[in-house]
Amino acid sequence: MADFKCSDCRFYLPVDVFSGFCKLSKEKITPDTPFCCKAEKIPKCRFCTNYTAEKEFLGKCMGATLAYPDMIAVKCADFQWYRKN
Amino acid sequence: MKSDQHSAINYYGHEPEPGISPRENKRQPTPRANAARELYFEAKSSVSMEFPYWYTRRWETLEGEIPIIRRAEALKSGFEHLTPVIYPGELLAMGKAPFLRGSFPMPWLSEAFFMASEDKMYKEAQESGKLTADTFTTMGKGGGNVTRSIGKVISIAGKFGVRVEEMPVMLEVARKWKDRSVDDVGHKYEQLVPGYPEKEAIMRSVICMFDSGYTLPQGREVMNYYYPLQFGIDGIIANCKESLADVAGYPEMDRLYFYKAVIVMLEGIKSWIQNHAEEARFMASVEKEEQQKAEYLEMADRLEWISGKPPRNFHEALQVLWIFHVAVLNEDAISGLSPGRVGQVLFPFWQRDMKKGVIDRERTIELLECMRIKFTEIDCFASMGVVGGVLSGNTFNNLCLGGLTKDGASAANELEMLILEAGISCDTPQPTLSVLYDEKLPEEFLMKGVECTKIGTGYPAWVNNQVAMEFLLRNYAHEGMDLEEARAWAIGGCLETSPGSWMPLELDGEIHWIPGGSAPATSVGVHFLSLPKILEVALFDGMDMRTGERIFPSHGLKLETYEDLWQAFRDYFSRACHVLTLTNNIQHDAWRKISPSLVNSMLKPDCLANGRDIGQKGCRYNSTFNIESCGTANLVNSLAAMKRNIYNEKRYTLAEYRDAILANFGYKTARETGSYSLIDQVPKEDHDRWKKIHRESLAAPKFGNDDPYVDAIMKEWEEWFCEMTHNYRSLYDQPMYACQISVSTHGPMGAVTLASPDGRLCGTTFSDGSVSAYPGTDLHGPYALFNSATCWNHSLSQNSQLNMKIHPSVVKGREGSRKFLELIRAYLRKGGFHVQFNIVDSRMLKQAQAEPEKYRSLLVRVAGFTQYWVELGKQIQDEVIARTEYEEL
Repeated sequence: MADFKCSDCRFYLPVDVFSGFCKLSKEKITPDTPFCCKAEKIPKCRFCTNYTAEKEFLGKCMGATLAYPDMIAVKCADFQWYRKN
Repeated sequence: MKSDQHSAINYYGHEPEPGISPRENKRQPTPRANAARELYFEAKSSVSMEFPYWYTRRWETLEGEIPIIRRAEALKSGFEHLTPVIYPGELLAMGKAPFLRGSFPMPWLSEAFFMASEDKMYKEAQESGKLTADTFTTMGKGGGNVTRSIGKVISIAGKFGVRVEEMPVMLEVARKWKDRSVDDVGHKYEQLVPGYPEKEAIMRSVICMFDSGYTLPQGREVMNYYYPLQFGIDGIIANCKESLADVAGYPEMDRLYFYKAVIVMLEGIKSWIQNHAEEARFMASVEKEEQQKAEYLEMADRLEWISGKPPRNFHEALQVLWIFHVAVLNEDAISGLSPGRVGQVLFPFWQRDMKKGVIDRERTIELLECMRIKFTEIDCFASMGVVGGVLSGNTFNNLCLGGLTKDGASAANELEMLILEAGISCDTPQPTLSVLYDEKLPEEFLMKGVECTKIGTGYPAWVNNQVAMEFLLRNYAHEGMDLEEARAWAIGGCLETSPGSWMPLELDGEIHWIPGGSAPATSVGVHFLSLPKILEVALFDGMDMRTGERIFPSHGLKLETYEDLWQAFRDYFSRACHVLTLTNNIQHDAWRKISPSLVNSMLKPDCLANGRDIGQKGCRYNSTFNIESCGTANLVNSLAAMKRNIYNEKRYTLAEYRDAILANFGYKTARETGSYSLIDQVPKEDHDRWKKIHRESLAAPKFGNDDPYVDAIMKEWEEWFCEMTHNYRSLYDQPMYACQISVSTHGPMGAVTLASPDGRLCGTTFSDGSVSAYPGTDLHGPYALFNSATCWNHSLSQNSQLNMKIHPSVVKGREGSRKFLELIRAYLRKGGFHVQFNIVDSRMLKQAQAEPEKYRSLLVRVAGFTQYWVELGKQIQDEVIARTEYEEL
């Protein structure tokens, strides 16, 4: 979990590209703040079994379609948690 | 007139008392709105790639599909995949993107402008002259602008921040639209217009500010919320399914695809709303405070209901209005999407709630303040030249008040009084307010409007209802507009007179005729033409002396008479209008084919009735393209100076004037000094050589002083301009008309223009608006300015624009309010179309320029819009400071 940051968390509420709030603590945090003990991962492409990384910040979805690792995928019908995560 | 050289402020009347005078005390917003506004002040403009990613991904899978269906599917995918975000304390949910000030690029319109500077596409675009205006535009350095890259955030166009994780996909998605975007396809075909290289030269010289055909293909128009308010999303879908069945297989098959596309698009919007309802429930599940938890659950129920059904009360109706406003903003890059006469549209819901006792005035104010915050959060993603140079970061959501009802009575109502009240207590740039002034409006309402303008918000602007109706009947009667329908108008964008229609909203068996927009964008046409620059090019026989490039062929005239000069100017102006109209029509044709409007088309009468989208003339009125000008007072003053000094009194030869202009009258340029107003300029060593001609240029008759010599030139220009615009035909085969607002273009357009014969120096900002005097030249008081401004018939043009700056002490107290209203009345009764005010001590603006961090919430009026001082570029800040400050009326 040490590798994860607040922007990977279900409880992160983004205000802008620099900062946001924790939905639980209501504290102001940055997207790069490390995960805390209450954090839960939010569906993102890089947590998905369909995602394949190709180069920094870019990859493929199901081996064919352009995708990027940090895209939130809460509304993606094809999202499936990658088990190792 | 006194010009304080030390503090660089122009005064009319006595000198103000020492020390900065504050604006009149104003009320504070409710705690909820105040908290939201504080959060807004902290938030930066942020870009998200979610919508464009899903839009493009879906688009790519539908190669070969009917274009409008493909577009609908792409929009649906964008909407239904947006991550829902709800902020604590919100009473109105949802926004463009999952950031408070979120926005996103729309590469299907234009992909080049947000590419990294090293990108080949960007370089190509620069070489073709398309981005020239960007080079001369300065963005505001404070507020919510991300002016430079910091850490993991990259700055785009000096305003928007994008996370470094999203930059590669932004470029990849953009590349997918290369040669397929509206910009690229339009560019391919616009080159077929005879004389096309002249268009490129015009753009490079910044005679024209930008290509409106694809840059901002919608906007400067008035929304119409009737259908979702009356039928709800499910009701509209049901109606479309019925209509679809009626037309399937019959001639004019485009109707079939249109109805199908609207259904698909609405399914996406429905999911988008439901996703937010789900998120509200999630927020409630993790919320510990009981009141906030209850509010989340109420929000969830509200959103769930209106995701299909029509609103049951005022709060739901306001939420529906907001959702569809954002939905239109998400289908195109849009500036100036005006909500229109919101107080009259929502009045039936509010009146019913008040009768039932389910809402009171305090709750209404709180809701209206929340509405103000939501509208202020809107950002428009475009290039620096457009966002900074044209818009000053503003989005021009103009809410209109007053005017007349369908049967000609005063339309002002109690809810509009509360909208003004919320505008006073929660002063924010959006929505800006405009009073449609009519003699029938009650005094109490007008005094409330004055009370609001006085506190220094810059709104409401004051607009002449009868002049606007006369303009509309003049230009839309051939499309069926009558007097009754003309009364439904409102301002689109900052100041564009826009046609409306009366819609029969039925509540509890009673019909309420509510006004709403019924025409497409007026943001499309020839935008904007720099009048002083065209005069400069005429003086130098077609050459842009700044770049050394030939713009127009030699006019072949020796300019030995004033008539020759006037003729040369008109010839070049007409050439520019001709080629730019044709290229713009091609660009917009590419837009309607590749990226037709669906959300806005669904809303606008009579698209649903006739099965045609906006691009297929589905609207009731379609004569909306216009030709926009900038720098009117500088043109007129320059013509007056040359007429007197060269042709009538022969004090100088034309050659001497040319030399003086090239020498900038012996001053450093604005770019060299970093100051963009005339009174802050620095002389060069050879200044004495040019001193006399500069003095006599400045001393020549100036517009704004009730001087017949120069006012006659203004009248001649206006009558010619307003008439000649009808010679050009829009894409929809309708005659065009004149539109005279500067927005912020007078900054960058002034920056590329040499000194002008009126004594204005190289690179300094032009006069604002179209009937505003050049700063510091209106020497004879407001009524002389009014006489000059109304020397021509304003109903010939879509608008005219007059800005005034008044010291707060002049309009202080109840007596000051009364005096102020009489001033406004005096101008409008003379036939003036529009007047707006900065009630501010200019010394405060100077201080705010020096210490912006202390003035985050300071609002000023620019030209048709109110903006935070710290978010304005220096070119515009300097011009606002330099405007004449009236110390007495």
